Amino acid sequence: MPLVFLKTPNIKFMKYKYAALAVTGAIVLAGVLNVTVGKGLKLGVDFGGGTLIRVMFKTPAAVSDIRQTMRDVGLGNSTIQATGKAGHEFQIRTMQVIKGIDPQKEVEAHEQLANRVIEALKGDDGQAEIQRGLKDLNTIDTRELTSLLSTAYPSEAAQLAEKIVGQRGAPAKGIFTDYAELSEAGIQPEVITFLKDKTFLGKLTVISKETVGPQAGADLRRKATLATIWALIGMLVYIAFRFKLAYGVAAIFTLTQDVLITLSIYSFTNREINLPIIAAVLTIVGFSINDTIVIFDRVRENTKILRKESLENIMNVSLNQCLGRTIITSGTVFITLLSLYIFGGEVINDFAFCMLIGAIEGVYSTVALSCPVVLFWQNIFKTKTAFRK
Amino acid sequence: MKKGLRWKIILTLVVLAGCLVISYPVKEKIKLGLDLRGGIHLRMQVITEDAITMETDQEILRLQELFKKNSITFTSMIKDTPGKFAIQGTIPDQERKIKDVLDQYLRDWDYIFAGTSASVSLKPLAVQYLKDQAVDQSVETIRNRVDAFGVAEPIIQRQGKEWIIVELPGVDNPDRVQNIIKQAAVLEWKLVKAGPAPDEETLLKDYGGKVPDDMDALKGDPKRRAEGWYLVSKVATVTGQDLRMVRRSVDEWNNPAVAFSLKPDGAKRFEVATGENVGKLLAIILDGRIQSAPVINTRISGDGSIEGHFTVEEAEDLVLLLKSGALPAGIKTLENRTIGPSLGADSVRAGLLAFMIAVLSVMTFMIIYYKFSGVNAVIALILNVIILIGALAYFRATLTLPGIAGIILGVGMAVDANVLIFERIREESALGKSIMNSISLGFSRAFSAIFDSNLTTVISAIFLFQFGTGPIRGYAVTLIISLAANMFTAVFVSHWIFNVTVTKKTKKLSI
Repeated sequence: MPLVFLKTPNIKFMKYKYAALAVTGAIVLAGVLNVTVGKGLKLGVDFGGGTLIRVMFKTPAAVSDIRQTMRDVGLGNSTIQATGKAGHEFQIRTMQVIKGIDPQKEVEAHEQLANRVIEALKGDDGQAEIQRGLKDLNTIDTRELTSLLSTAYPSEAAQLAEKIVGQRGAPAKGIFTDYAELSEAGIQPEVITFLKDKTFLGKLTVISKETVGPQAGADLRRKATLATIWALIGMLVYIAFRFKLAYGVAAIFTLTQDVLITLSIYSFTNREINLPIIAAVLTIVGFSINDTIVIFDRVRENTKILRKESLENIMNVSLNQCLGRTIITSGTVFITLLSLYIFGGEVINDFAFCMLIGAIEGVYSTVALSCPVVLFWQNIFKTKTAFRK
Repeated sequence: MKKGLRWKIILTLVVLAGCLVISYPVKEKIKLGLDLRGGIHLRMQVITEDAITMETDQEILRLQELFKKNSITFTSMIKDTPGKFAIQGTIPDQERKIKDVLDQYLRDWDYIFAGTSASVSLKPLAVQYLKDQAVDQSVETIRNRVDAFGVAEPIIQRQGKEWIIVELPGVDNPDRVQNIIKQAAVLEWKLVKAGPAPDEETLLKDYGGKVPDDMDALKGDPKRRAEGWYLVSKVATVTGQDLRMVRRSVDEWNNPAVAFSLKPDGAKRFEVATGENVGKLLAIILDGRIQSAPVINTRISGDGSIEGHFTVEEAEDLVLLLKSGALPAGIKTLENRTIGPSLGADSVRAGLLAFMIAVLSVMTFMIIYYKFSGVNAVIALILNVIILIGALAYFRATLTLPGIAGIILGVGMAVDANVLIFERIREESALGKSIMNSISLGFSRAFSAIFDSNLTTVISAIFLFQFGTGPIRGYAVTLIISLAANMFTAVFVSHWIFNVTVTKKTKKLSI
């Protein structure tokens, strides 16, 4: 006996079509209101422009300390977020509004601002050491380290430098807290002694620094919007061609709801919209359209078999027949996304969160919304939505 | 075994082997994007107007020479805007003569006469051409510089009218590289007419407080410890274009310096100029800032050196810049992203772990739920991932974070294809059809849903690739490949596995 969750059930999905529409309407309205007059969408640096800096400290620091430092240099309105390695890693987005007559100068102003932030966080750490001619082993690049090492170890300098910088950039690292960590990478004790003599361990390192100017931001925004709109049109045309126009419209309607709801969840949870998030939204759209087409396909097939039934009944039968598959597929997708969310690391985390919410919502939109829209379209335009042949 | 079946198995094995060969070794074949590997992403704008300004200035100088040679009277030539200048104080009688000169030497320029003056402007087509050239040359120059600096697998490409994208993976010294990319590196040697003076006012005291037409007032570069203001001739004796060779050297105090030698033509001019001006100063100017202004002790032939308290790196970078030539126009940054290697490494490690866990749990679920048929799906899934890796390696695609999202969707839809088929087989079987018949019907009836949903997604991905930027394109590429592989593995391979394992004698289907 095969293992099954549900024998083909007989749920009257279509009975709830008005309820479904009302729920959707309410959610979409809440989302639209929130995005337009409410909290609004928080554009990340990709689309909104500005600077995003990620720094890593040698010793743990508190968000409040960093905020105080920012306030001291007049950048108190920057957003500071702890990420990654607890207490060590922070993400700082400067919120200073820089409006110049010349948009090209804005990027440079943002870059200077970023440097100011880094200088402020560093404080006078390492100044004395630099005065004495020492180099910061936590920020030195391979080239410079090679030339430093070549004074004592000319033949293996390049190799050593690469190894040391590699060790510094290894996963879950980013900064040396102690010279002892060098021996873990197999650096000989005499080299470590030499480095102790010529270098010091600075208190922080910049993991990433991203500055997007207004022109570039506008271009990214325009291209992302354009790409999404064309993708939607492409789908509409194909579905209208393979099924009927009403089905294409219903699919796009469902997808629009998916996109709107995901965006408003972003708005509610104060997350920033960045380029990778667009990919996440598109993935949700992908899963949702997949679900929708599977159901439409069944409707298409059943209209040929159950000729005497009304379209509404056919849709009900089809939804029920597909339910097992919908649950299993969504379940596997859900498992995948959940594992990405839990184990995926800080960069992927946001991205996975978006998809997780979207995956659940996508199932709802498919089951509850796609078929009723076809019916409404038929009722409004009095078109024949059933398939001939 | 049926003949058709044998060919299906052979085809599958060939595809499998091909993908494995192409993708070996994976670490070298599949490049990671900047978000996963670390590096610099720059988007820059070429200030193409600069090229027009430069052209206008040059043509004014040339025309002045030509007018003098042809004894044409004029009082001045003044630049209005880039690409437009006015000749003033001409004699109407000489209009014919002026027209001849303009027609012969300034073919890309239009002119209008009005009494004793003429307005000369660059033709729109020529403006377009010059701007275009400036961007192409900038790309070329930046490429030379990046190559000379030694960055593996750099991407330097033009985007649209005047933008340039530079992607340098794995670079760990962003500031130095950016300086090298953005510096104009226009090197000039000019005779000093007056100075150094502590400020501009003192400098211009003897000139009535105004910079003469044929001179420029320039400041010394504090970084090179060349303090003060200098008044230098507008015309350069020699420029960076006259250089034949540059290399790093040391000055008499063993400080890093840059030695140069000139091409024969420039060397001749240099010799004449230094010979005529012994005892005076000769300024070495980089991007409008005086690096040093040594005294001309004697007539100098084509060799010399640039000194100015350089560090080893500064001297190295200057050599690199001079070797790769000057940028034809200024460059502004529009977007600047520097991703450290540790951030990317963390993402890759965590992402890979999460992906492994996800795939394993999905596979486990499929085997528990569909038993032997689940194993079939798992084989199809593994094959799907192998084909994906092989195709990514073949197309030399870069894997980015959004690319991973594309793979997730692809794998998700691959699992879905199997689920659709298996559920359908169960349905047909529950209707009392024979095992062989159920399998055959399951595949054929589920096909239209799989085909339509995959194709819809592929269509949308094609549009995303066409209109999207970097990260979105990365997503589209992995998605398209993944779905194409899906049609092969879930529909084709899975089907023949059933055909091989299930025969007429099979009493019960494990599904």
